[in-house]
Amino acid sequence: MTIFVKLDEVLHVRRMTLTELSGKVGITLANLSILKTGKARGIRFSTLQAICEALDCQPGDLLVNRPDPASDSEAS
Amino acid sequence: MSQADSTALSASRILLKVLRVLNIGMAVGLVLAVPASFFFAPTLFEFFSKKPPRIDPSMLLPTLRVWLVMALLMVALIHVQLSRLLAVVATVPDDPFVPENAVRLKTIAWCMLGIELLRLVFGILAGTMNAAGSNIDWKFSASGWVAVVLLFVLAQVFEAGARMRADLDTLI
Repeated sequence: MTIFVKLDEVLHVRRMTLTELSGKVGITLANLSILKTGKARGIRFSTLQAICEALDCQPGDLLVNRPDPASDSEAS
Repeated sequence: MSQADSTALSASRILLKVLRVLNIGMAVGLVLAVPASFFFAPTLFEFFSKKPPRIDPSMLLPTLRVWLVMALLMVALIHVQLSRLLAVVATVPDDPFVPENAVRLKTIAWCMLGIELLRLVFGILAGTMNAAGSNIDWKFSASGWVAVVLLFVLAQVFEAGARMRADLDTLI
């Protein structure tokens, strides 16, 4: 199981691009991409707070605990 | 970085560059001295024959040449040390905890070990010459060996620091 950041889904609902979000929260596009693609090892509370304020959502709307795709394919 | 730290860093950089230039000068002197010891052998023979304590120049001159070659090796190791240290200092304003600095510190540590081993050989040569009647002052010093251990430990610390920095880079 891995924690994923559902940035794409929430951005789609809010009709916002990743670039616009980057400008609003002051986090580089590269770092937001790392978050979006699940390559981040962790997220600071300050980052989570900034994204939640920009997207007008709760942390629970952004974070989900999903089965890891790699372990899932091994199991099958 | 505070102003004092920045000033200290700049001063360190300048000092290291000056030391490197002086070291290169020493190397040039040593490179010239080895062939000069052959070219001026008769003059040196006469000089050392008269100079007390009277040691046989036929033993002294070859020993001096070995000494010069070993000094050249030591100067080469010092040059590598100073160059690597300058490279480490260059990374401090940005981010010193990079894997390259761990490698550089390890290189500096190995060079320090080489220098201490050469010092030991110098000591053995000095002992040999003193047994033949010379009066060379050589004392064993543990501080260099402690520095070797310190540098290897520091290299490990930087390695761990670089790993932690890499980990931190993926914390958004």
